[in-house]
Amino acid sequence: MGDFSLLMAAVEEAGHEGGHEGGHHVSVSTAGSLIYILLVVAILFGLMSVAKGGLNQRVFKNRMTSYFEQLFLFIENMCVGIIGPHGRKYIPMIMTFWMVIFVSNVVALFFPHSPTADLSFNLGMALVAVGYVQWEGIRANGLGGHLSHFAGPKLGFVLLPITAMIFIIEIISEVMKNVSLSLRLFGNINGGHKAVEAMNQLGMSIYIPFGEFLLPIKLLTCVVQALVFSLLTCVYLSLVTHHEDDHAAAH
Amino acid sequence: MLGLGLGLAALGVAIGLGLIGYSALNGMARQPEAIGKLQTAMLIALAFVELVFLLTVFAAPSAFKETIEVKKIEGAAATAE
Repeated sequence: MGDFSLLMAAVEEAGHEGGHEGGHHVSVSTAGSLIYILLVVAILFGLMSVAKGGLNQRVFKNRMTSYFEQLFLFIENMCVGIIGPHGRKYIPMIMTFWMVIFVSNVVALFFPHSPTADLSFNLGMALVAVGYVQWEGIRANGLGGHLSHFAGPKLGFVLLPITAMIFIIEIISEVMKNVSLSLRLFGNINGGHKAVEAMNQLGMSIYIPFGEFLLPIKLLTCVVQALVFSLLTCVYLSLVTHHEDDHAAAH
Repeated sequence: MLGLGLGLAALGVAIGLGLIGYSALNGMARQPEAIGKLQTAMLIALAFVELVFLLTVFAAPSAFKETIEVKKIEGAAATAE
């Protein structure tokens, strides 16, 4: 949040010279963020206990269960489509990411703050995602196989420096995946908040909260960002867990 | 200056997003049975293009910080004189 508030402070300071002391902003403390995280967890827990109550031997008894079934089918379709037939075992993780991000984004529509509008929460989630990808890669190909996966194609002994360079670049790009995942989510949700704030200030003189008209597009952002995060996790998983045997069998 | 730079960044990214949406819609209209695959590829491309603007937003303040500070110091010096 530091950089963005710095930007806002700079913009405000450029706008009106030395008015009130700097660009003051609603900065939520760690305890405040924790309250929102607990809120999200409580919402998820409530929804899923309702959904579990509808489970039966033959039919689903309530509506929530069928919603969750549809969500599961959607995620399963995505996993199997991107990763392949062995992608079914990654569904729990991907679906957890989807639900946590979606519920946090919806919380952002109704409350002044939300977990996904906080860079630290997003970075933590991205670290979990990328760490999970490494773990699954090691489990699928072994430690040596996973590391050699970073080194690119086998080039032979003469081109060893190039392999080393590719290795370093791949490691850097792997680390940058954390940054890109977290920054994308944070920028979209926090940027949405900032846009609503600016639009509200626009209509403040005539008492019309223009920012509320942005809510439909923010709802779209909620779904798309949850989808993008889980989709990219799927893509990263598919990059590290493809087996050489599958290739041999396919040809 | 900062606003102009961010506006330019937004302009470029908007053109890129438009091109992605345009070509994806073209492809979907020509081949409706490939919509699922096209949507996935489109979303991934959208995410990567969007990231460029977000990186600009986060990198801009630190790039402009020095000029802002210099201006502040110059302004303080001018008022002192």
